Amino acid sequence: MRRRWWNAAVRWVLALVLLFVIGASAGAPGQAAGGKFAMILPGTIQDADYNTVGYLAMKDVGLKYGLTTSYSENVAVADAERVAREYAGGGATIVAFHGGQFLTIAQKLAPLYPQVTFIIEASGRVPGLPANVWVIGRKYYQGFYALGALAALSTKTNKIGYIAGIRLPDFIASLNAVHQAIRDLNATATLLYAFTGDQNDAVKARQTAESQITSGVDQIVVSVNLGVYGIFEAAKAASHPVLVTSYYTDKDASAPKNFSASLLLNFSRPYADIVGRILKGERSGYVEMRPGNGMELSPIRNTPPAAVQKVRAIFHEIVTGSKQIPEITDHIVP
Amino acid sequence: MDLLFDPRIWQLTVMTAAPLLLAALGELLGERAGVLNVAIEGIMAFGASVGFLVAFAAHSDLGGILAAGLVGALMAVMLGYAAIRLQVSQLTAGLALFVLGVGLASLLYRLAIGVRLALPRVPTLSVWSIPGLSGLPVLGQPVFAQNALVYLAFLLVAAWWMLLQRTPLGLRIRAVGENPRAADAAGINVFAIRWGCTIVAGCLMGIAGAYYPLVLTGAYSDGMIGGRGWIALMLVIFGRWLPPLTLAGAVLFAYVEVLQFKVALFLKVLPPQFLLMAPYLLAILVLVGVYRGARAPAALMRPYDREERG
Repeated sequence: MRRRWWNAAVRWVLALVLLFVIGASAGAPGQAAGGKFAMILPGTIQDADYNTVGYLAMKDVGLKYGLTTSYSENVAVADAERVAREYAGGGATIVAFHGGQFLTIAQKLAPLYPQVTFIIEASGRVPGLPANVWVIGRKYYQGFYALGALAALSTKTNKIGYIAGIRLPDFIASLNAVHQAIRDLNATATLLYAFTGDQNDAVKARQTAESQITSGVDQIVVSVNLGVYGIFEAAKAASHPVLVTSYYTDKDASAPKNFSASLLLNFSRPYADIVGRILKGERSGYVEMRPGNGMELSPIRNTPPAAVQKVRAIFHEIVTGSKQIPEITDHIVP
Repeated sequence: MDLLFDPRIWQLTVMTAAPLLLAALGELLGERAGVLNVAIEGIMAFGASVGFLVAFAAHSDLGGILAAGLVGALMAVMLGYAAIRLQVSQLTAGLALFVLGVGLASLLYRLAIGVRLALPRVPTLSVWSIPGLSGLPVLGQPVFAQNALVYLAFLLVAAWWMLLQRTPLGLRIRAVGENPRAADAAGINVFAIRWGCTIVAGCLMGIAGAYYPLVLTGAYSDGMIGGRGWIALMLVIFGRWLPPLTLAGAVLFAYVEVLQFKVALFLKVLPPQFLLMAPYLLAILVLVGVYRGARAPAALMRPYDREERG
């Protein structure tokens, strides 16, 4: 009898732990019930990268305008519509999709929830959007031109690597911009590029970086998120000096000897701008995130001063608009 | 041809194969005793999280590895309790533990680390070059210039082979996995054997999980196991429940996985999506071929009840 009670108790405890863990790890869309500003993020907010800066932007905006905030992280595209419907139906007045992969979902939901204003991120202007959708146009490629210039001016082996995860238009444009910078500044250098298929798989990213390094690459321009930590390990283990650039946050502390610079992205700026205008009654519009507006270059390390100076000058030209970089998002220029 | 014999590629192959091998050897031991553990992915994820957190907090990779082994064993105790003690479906209990492990890994890391702009990192395990052997042509660098866990994985292949084929304990394990009733009648403690193998298996799976942050990346991230636990499960079938063949499968899979990125650099005519799919395609093709004639332990997934009539 006692044993049966014990078995039943163990089963209940296990079931409760399982429910608790599933609930805690899957995020909590229900938190939006009394909220006004909700954000849907594709990855974990602990990535110290794209999702962290998105989450911090949401917090900043909430604090600035006195909005209640809620979020769901690790949301797959297949789940995003359900999560967004829960927010929109649960009282959120602004729903932001932090990720270019959610565009079609916002297009679909916006007419169904006219009282809600949606914010999406894309590589540029999106024609034909409903009247309650704002767009943040991320012009990564302009910043990546500067990172490409840094690699082109610093390489000693004349082989430069570029590693991205998913083949999104933003990253294709960034790859083309890096290639353009190499052609402009060091035509003798060659570019080896690869898409690992995953922005966050550090193991695949490391394997890709190892392949490039064994092919002679000594500068790697990185467009993956958490995958960059695998690339740092590959750079550390390399038999020749290898420098890596990153984006979103400054990652110098992760590999001080193998890190050169980062394209810093401050999403608080466009989000604060858009939310402020939504609160004033503007239901749609376009804000561009580009060098000088939410995009800065981190301190440049492990690089000769002449190259640093030159790259800073190029970045300044991009900020002022005196340097124009072609935006090619639909194919990779050979 | 250079591509095929590039020593650095082979070194990376062996390094990538090691965690698959550790997890697969654990699974193999459990299955030989009749206990299927489909929670490998979850146990590896939990091992990765705990291993990283302990290594980070204690500044000790060894501490991280031991902690990962311990939590892997604890997860296995839960499986054992459900599958051996309560005699519930091993598949159902394993799948529940898989979900639990993945969730616990994420939750624990969240509670311990919180949100930061700089990801916490640990120094990765250093390479131990074996004097004399690491200088050998061809095999020197790939096999004898690796980290300690790679050597452990290779030693376990030999140890498992010896244990299962050449020792009385191995005979008992196999007997329990094939015919537990007959083993029981012969005086073998079926429950003790199953418990022991299940716990050792979980321990190895936990260590395999810790391998990723402590060797390959120096940092933890959710989902970093990336389905490799399921690959380890497949490798046991590929290896026909034999350690040397499991080793061959792990190396083959890792080689294709590593090679795809090298190939992608030079063969731009092949879509990258196809290359990314290649290791899994290979796994399916090989499995279809290898599984023919392969025979799982007869009592695999069958709970043993002494009171039940045969």
